[in-house]
Amino acid sequence: MTVDLNKLHAVGAIAEEAEGKWGMVIDMDLCTGCQACVAACAMENNIPYVEEVDAGYGRSMHWIRTERFWEGEYPEVKMSAYQPMLCQQCGKAPCEPVCPAFATVHSQAEQINLQVYNRCVGTRYCANNCPYQVRSFNWRDYQDSRVRPEITILANQFNPDVTVRRRGVMEKCTFCIQRIHKAQDKAKSEGREVEDGEFTTACAQACPANAITFGRIDHPESLVAQLARSPRAAHHLEELGTLPRVTYLKEG
Amino acid sequence: MSKQISRRDFLKLATAGAATTAVLTGCGPTSRFVDREPYRKMPEYTYNGISTYYATTCRECAAACGLVVRTMQGRAIKVEGNPNNPVNLGKTCARGQATLQGLYNPDRVENPVKQARGAQLSQETLDWNAATQIVADALTNTNPSEIAFLMGMAPDHLFDLVSDLAKAIGAPAPIRFGALGMFEARATLSKAAEDLFGSASMPFFDLENADVVVSFGANFLETWLSPVAFTRGFARMRRGNPERRGYFVQFEPRMSQTASKADAWIPLRPGTENLVALALGRLIAEAKGGAIPAAFASVDPVAAAAEADVIFETLERLAQTLTNAGRPLVIPGGAALGQSNGLATAEAVLALNALLGNFGLPGGVFISPLAPAQDAYHRPASAKEMTDFIAKMKSGGVKVLFVHGVNPLFELPKQLGFAEALAAVPQVISFATFPDETALASDYIFPDHHGLESWGYQRAVVSAKPVLSGAQPVVVPYFNTRATADVFLAAAALTGGTLAQAMPFADEVAFIQSKLTKLVGEEGFFAAPEINSFTAYFQQYGGWWTLDPSLATPSAANAIAKRFNASAAEFAGEGEFFFLPFVSPTLGEAGANKPWLQELADPTTTVMWNTWVEMNPATAHELGIENDDVIEIVSEAGSVEAPVYLYPAIRPDVIAMPFGQGHTAYGRFAAGRGVNPADVLGVHFNEAGDLAFAGMKVTVKKTGKIKVLSRLESRIGVYGEGLEKE
Amino acid sequence: MADHKPHTSHEEHLREQHLMLDPMPRGKMNEMVMESMHTTSWKFWLVFGLLSALVAYALFYKWGVMILEGLGVAGVNRPSYWGIFLVNTVFWIGISHAGTFISAILRVFKAEFRRPFTRAAELMTTFGLIQAGFSIFMHMGRVWLSYWLMPIPNERQLWPNFHSPLSWDLLAITTYLLSSTMYLFLPLIPDLAMARDRTPDGTWQKVFYRVLALGFRGTEGEWTHLRNALNIFAFAIIPVMFSVHTIVSWDFAMATRPGWNSTIFGPYFVIGALHSGMGAVVMVLAVVRGTMKNMKYFIRPEHFEAIGKLMLIISMSWAYFFFNDYIVQWYGGDKWTKELLHWHEAGPMGWMWFGMLICNVAIPWAILWNKKWRSTPWLIFIVGLLINVGMWFERYIIVPISLTINRMPFTWRLYQPGIEVWLGIGTLAFFILLYMAASRLIPLIPVWEVQEGQMAHSLRKYGRETVVTVSELE
Repeated sequence: MTVDLNKLHAVGAIAEEAEGKWGMVIDMDLCTGCQACVAACAMENNIPYVEEVDAGYGRSMHWIRTERFWEGEYPEVKMSAYQPMLCQQCGKAPCEPVCPAFATVHSQAEQINLQVYNRCVGTRYCANNCPYQVRSFNWRDYQDSRVRPEITILANQFNPDVTVRRRGVMEKCTFCIQRIHKAQDKAKSEGREVEDGEFTTACAQACPANAITFGRIDHPESLVAQLARSPRAAHHLEELGTLPRVTYLKEG
Repeated sequence: MSKQISRRDFLKLATAGAATTAVLTGCGPTSRFVDREPYRKMPEYTYNGISTYYATTCRECAAACGLVVRTMQGRAIKVEGNPNNPVNLGKTCARGQATLQGLYNPDRVENPVKQARGAQLSQETLDWNAATQIVADALTNTNPSEIAFLMGMAPDHLFDLVSDLAKAIGAPAPIRFGALGMFEARATLSKAAEDLFGSASMPFFDLENADVVVSFGANFLETWLSPVAFTRGFARMRRGNPERRGYFVQFEPRMSQTASKADAWIPLRPGTENLVALALGRLIAEAKGGAIPAAFASVDPVAAAAEADVIFETLERLAQTLTNAGRPLVIPGGAALGQSNGLATAEAVLALNALLGNFGLPGGVFISPLAPAQDAYHRPASAKEMTDFIAKMKSGGVKVLFVHGVNPLFELPKQLGFAEALAAVPQVISFATFPDETALASDYIFPDHHGLESWGYQRAVVSAKPVLSGAQPVVVPYFNTRATADVFLAAAALTGGTLAQAMPFADEVAFIQSKLTKLVGEEGFFAAPEINSFTAYFQQYGGWWTLDPSLATPSAANAIAKRFNASAAEFAGEGEFFFLPFVSPTLGEAGANKPWLQELADPTTTVMWNTWVEMNPATAHELGIENDDVIEIVSEAGSVEAPVYLYPAIRPDVIAMPFGQGHTAYGRFAAGRGVNPADVLGVHFNEAGDLAFAGMKVTVKKTGKIKVLSRLESRIGVYGEGLEKE
Repeated sequence: MADHKPHTSHEEHLREQHLMLDPMPRGKMNEMVMESMHTTSWKFWLVFGLLSALVAYALFYKWGVMILEGLGVAGVNRPSYWGIFLVNTVFWIGISHAGTFISAILRVFKAEFRRPFTRAAELMTTFGLIQAGFSIFMHMGRVWLSYWLMPIPNERQLWPNFHSPLSWDLLAITTYLLSSTMYLFLPLIPDLAMARDRTPDGTWQKVFYRVLALGFRGTEGEWTHLRNALNIFAFAIIPVMFSVHTIVSWDFAMATRPGWNSTIFGPYFVIGALHSGMGAVVMVLAVVRGTMKNMKYFIRPEHFEAIGKLMLIISMSWAYFFFNDYIVQWYGGDKWTKELLHWHEAGPMGWMWFGMLICNVAIPWAILWNKKWRSTPWLIFIVGLLINVGMWFERYIIVPISLTINRMPFTWRLYQPGIEVWLGIGTLAFFILLYMAASRLIPLIPVWEVQEGQMAHSLRKYGRETVVTVSELE
C-alpha cells in the first residue's frame, strides 16, 4: 500500500488553515483608544510617519488604528466601542491570490499573511481587495534621509529586525513575526516549545488596558484561545469567509 | 567617572543579580563602574544581533512608569514597560513609546551654548568647563535670596539635589511646575485632602477594585496623574471580576476620551459639578435614611439638577445605583476642579465618597503613601504660587534663574506674564534638552541628557505601594550634553567653601546613592546588605518598592461634617461659550516634537498634527460654521484662531480645545503648528490656588479662513458627509 | 434617396454616395493616397511640435518625477489605491477595441463599408494599447521591477502568480498587442509595397518602405498567402479581443468589493469598450477627412452613416448591460452595495454618474436615430467625443469613485487626482502624436482593399432600373 504524502500534507494544511496558529483577541470593552498600541507598533516596525497633509489625505501608515463611530445626536449621543483594526491575518486572505508578483503570500509554517517587501512591485491590488483596509502603501520615500534629513538621526531607533521599506511598496501588520521567530529560535535552542505568554506583539505588550491578547489560537488551553471562546467573541466581516485570526470581544 | 572597578567585578555583580531573576536588566552602559565608550568602538558586552535590556524610568510625564529599554549595538530600539514596576506593570502609554523619538530627535540642543534671548538656537558653543564655571559664578556672585530654581515635575532626584543645593546656599527652595499638574488640578486635590483628611498627600482612588465609578471631570484614561496605572485600574474595574462588569459614569461637559468609555456620559453645565455631587450625596443620604449629614444639608437636588442642566431622574437613578453598589467610588479631577469653585467640588466629591462609606475599603478612597526616601509630598506649584513667583521676578527679586524640565513660556497662560518677568531676570540659565521657547529666551542653554541617557529616580504619585522608580542611562549620550546634576555638583565643587562641603558628591550617581542609603536593609522588592549591591539591584530592577501596599485610611467623619456652600462656579468674561481646554491625550504637555505622537490620531476626534476647536454641530449650524472653518476665540485675556471640528458629543454652550500644540519653537515638528489655548486663559484661581482654566467664557467669530484638519477617520463614513439621505 | 432632387441621374447620385461605386484608376488612386501623406502644412508641424513638447513634459518628465518621488505626487490614497491610472488603462484598452472590432468582425461578416477605414481603426488599436501600457506601468509603485510580472525563467524559480487577474491581464494585453500589431501589419504590406514603388530612390522613406514591405511584389502566390493569413487572423483575433476586455473587467469583478463583484462585468466591459472605441473611430475619421488631402473621396457620409448605426446599436447594448448590472446589484440589497449605489448617484461626484448616462445613452439615442444627422461628420464627431467622455466617466465611477466605498466606513475617502492628470494628458497627446506621425508615413487608406471592393461592385441597368451588382467577394 502506498501513502500519498502530498495528499496527507494537503489534508493537514487544510485543517491548519481552518484553525490557524497565531491569533489575537481584542477586548473592545477594555480598549480606551489611547493609541499606545499604534505608537508601539510604529516603534517596533519602523513605520514611517507621513506628516499632516498626507495623513489627512488617507495615506497614514498605521498598521493598527482605532476606529470609532457615533450613534445618535446630542444629548443622546453615544460613541461606539473603540475598535482597533489591524491585519486580521485571514486564513483565506483575499489579498493573497490577487498579487501578480507573489509578494503577499500565506505562511504555511505560521499561518499568517506575509508581505514580501522586496518582491512587491506596487500594483496595490492586495490593498483594494482587503476587506479590512488595513494595508498601507509607501507613497513616498518616507524613510530616506535624502528626502527627510531628520531620518539620519531618527533612524538610530530603527529596529534592526525589521526591514525599512522604500517607496512603492505595500506593507501591513505582520503579527510581529520577528518576535515570533525570535521566541521560536530561543525555544528551539533550549529544546522546548514556545510557552504561552512567553512573548507577545508590540501592541499587546504596550496596551495599558490589557485589551489585546496574543498567542496560539490552536492551543485550547492558551489564554488567547480561552478568550476567543467567550460569548462576547465575534469576527469582523465574518460573512466574507476570510477566516480572520483576530477575535473581537464586544461590550456588554 | 573617577572610581573604577574591573570589568570582571562588574560582570560578577551583574550576574549575581541576573541569577535571582529572569528580568533582563543590568547596569547601564554608562555605569560609572565601566569606561564610557563611543559606539564606534562597541562595548565588549554587546554582540551583533543580541539585544541588551536596561530598566529605567519614563520621563515623558511625572507618573514614574518603569521602562525596560531594548538596546542593540548601543542604540535604544524599543521601549517596553517594566513588568515589575507596580506603577505600570509592564505597560506603557503612547508617549512613553515615542520617547525614543525624543532621544533621537533631530532638534536637540547638541552643545552647551551662549544663547541670544528670543533668537534662534545659538551656534555659539561653549565647552563644559566654561559652562560649569558660569554656573559656579552665578551661584557665588549672586545674593542667595535672588537665585531661583524652576524645575519640572520630573525627575525627582534632580529636584532633591537642587533642594539640597538651595538649602546649602540659603536660596529659596526650588519651584516645580508642569502644565499637566495645572490641568490635573493637583493643588486643588491636595488642598481638599488637607482640608478634609489633614494630610496634603494625594488621595488614592482604588479604581481597580471598585464596581461603580462616577467621575467628575477626571480624565484618568488620558493624562491625569498616572494614566497607565488608571487605565489598568479601569480595565480591572470593567472586566476584572468575572461575575460583574464594572459600571462607569462620567460627568463632563464634553465627551473626553475617558468619558467615551463611560457607560453613561452626563453632560452637565460647567461649574456645577459641585452641586451635582452634593445633590447625589443628599439623594443617597435620603435613601440611606437617618439624618442628612451637614455636608449635604444645604443643597436642593431638584434645583441643583436644573442648574446643572441634568435630568433629575438621571441623578435619582445614579444615586440609587451608588447606594446599592458594593464598592462605589467617586473621583474628582481635571476641568471640574479648574473652576472658581474647584476646591468645593473636590471636597464635595470626597465627602460623597465618605458618605458612600468607601474610605479605606477596596475600591474606595485612601491616602497615598509617601514614596520611599520621601519626607513629605512636594506637589508642584499651583498657578497662584507661580503668579507670586512671577511677581518676584518682575520686581527684580530674581537675579539668576535656573530652569530645568519645564517650559513656562509655553505651559503657563500668556496673561500670567512670564515672558515679561523673564525679561526682568538678568541671567537665565536653561538646562533644556530641546530648544523650547523658554530655553531660547535664556542666556545660556546647558543641555541635560535625554531621560533615556540619564541617571535618576522618580517617585510614584499614584501607587498603593510606595515606589521609587530608578532611572539609568540606556545609551551613551548622543550629543555633547551633560547631566544637570553633574553640572551643579561640579559647580558646587568649583565654588569651594561651604557649598562644596554641603554637596560632597563626586557625581550624580554618588548623590543618588546617598539618597538610596536609607533604603539599604529595608524590606522590599529586593533587599541588599550594602549600598553598592543595592544600587546595582536598583538599576537592574528599575527601582525599589515595597512588597505590600501601605495606604492610609482617611477619616470620614470630618469629610461629611463639613458644611459646603452649594453654589455654582463663577465665570470670567462675557462670551456666550464656556471654554474648556484639555490636555491632548496623545501629545501631553511636551509631546509635540515627536513626529509619531503628532501622527497619532486623537482618540475622540482622530485629528492629527494640529489643533482643533470642538463645537456642537447644532450650535455651529446656527452660527453658520462648518467643519474646518477657522474661528477666532476671544476671551478677556486674548484670542486664538483655530479650525472647527463639529464634535457630536459636546454641550452646545461649550467649546473645547486641546492643549499641547501651538509651539513657536521646540523643533521642526512642533514649531508653528496649531495654537496654544493657554493664550486665551485669564488669570483666575480657585481657593486652592489652581488656575480656573475651565472658568472662562469666550466669544467666537468666524474668520472666513479655512484650514482642513487632517483626520484619520472618514468624514463620509463616520459622519455621512456627501451621503445625505433625503 | 430622393429621386426628385436635381441630380443629373440616379446613377450619378449613387456614385457620389458610395465609394464602392465610384471607381478610380489604380494609378490615380495610389497617387491620391501618396499625395495625402506628402501634403503637410505648417499647421501640421505646429500641432506636431506642440504635442511633442506636451508628451515630453506631461508624459515623460512628469512620469520621471513620479518615479523618483513615489506615487505620493499622484492622488491615490487609501481607499482609492487605484486612480486615474487604471481609469486610463481601461479607457485606452477600450479605444483599442474598436480598431480590431471594425476590421475583424466587419471583415468576417464582409461588411463592405469597412474598406476605406480599417487601417485607420487598426492603427488606433496599436496606438491605444501603447497608451494603455503606459498607464498601467505608471500605476505601479516600482515600475523598474515591472519585468517581474513576466514569466521569465530565473535561478530562484520565482514566477508570477497566475492566480492573479492582473497576471492574466498582462498576458492578455500582451497577446492582444502582438496579434493586433500583426493584424495591422498584414494588410499593410501591399500598401507599403505600393508606397515603396512610388518613393524616389535615395530617401530614407524608400528604405523604410522597402524593409517593411518585405519584398512584396503582388504575385498570385503572395496574394494567396496574404489572404489566407488575413482570413485566419480576422477570425482568431475576435476571441482575443473579447478575452482582453473581459479579463480587464475581471481585475474588478474578481475582487471582493461591493460594486465590483459582478458577474456581468465581462460583457459589460466589452460592450463599453466597443462603445468608446466606435466613438473614437468616428472622431478619427472626421478629423482625417477634414484635414488630410483627398480624404473626402475615400471617407464619405455613407461611412459615418453606417458607423452611426453601429454606434446606436452599441449604445443600446451598453444601456442594456448597464441596466442589468445596476438592477441586479440594487435588488440584491447588500448593505455596502446600496451605500455604493447611493454614493454614485447622490455623492459629491453624482454629476458624473448622470453625465455618464447622458453622454452614453441620451445623446447617442437622440442624435443617431436620424440618418441625416448621423451622416453629418461634425455632428457625429461631437457624439463620438461625448461618448468617449461618458465612457471615461464610467471608468472613473468604477475605479476611484467606487473604491471610496468599502466595508470599512472609517476609511472612506474622496480621491483627488494629482499628477496623473498630467500623465493622462500625456498619453492622449502621445496617442495623437503617434497617429499624426503614422498619417505621414503609412497609407491611412488600405488602397488595395478599396480597389478590391470597387472591382467587385458595379452599376448595371436592367431595363430602366439601375442596380448595384456585386461579384463574388473574397
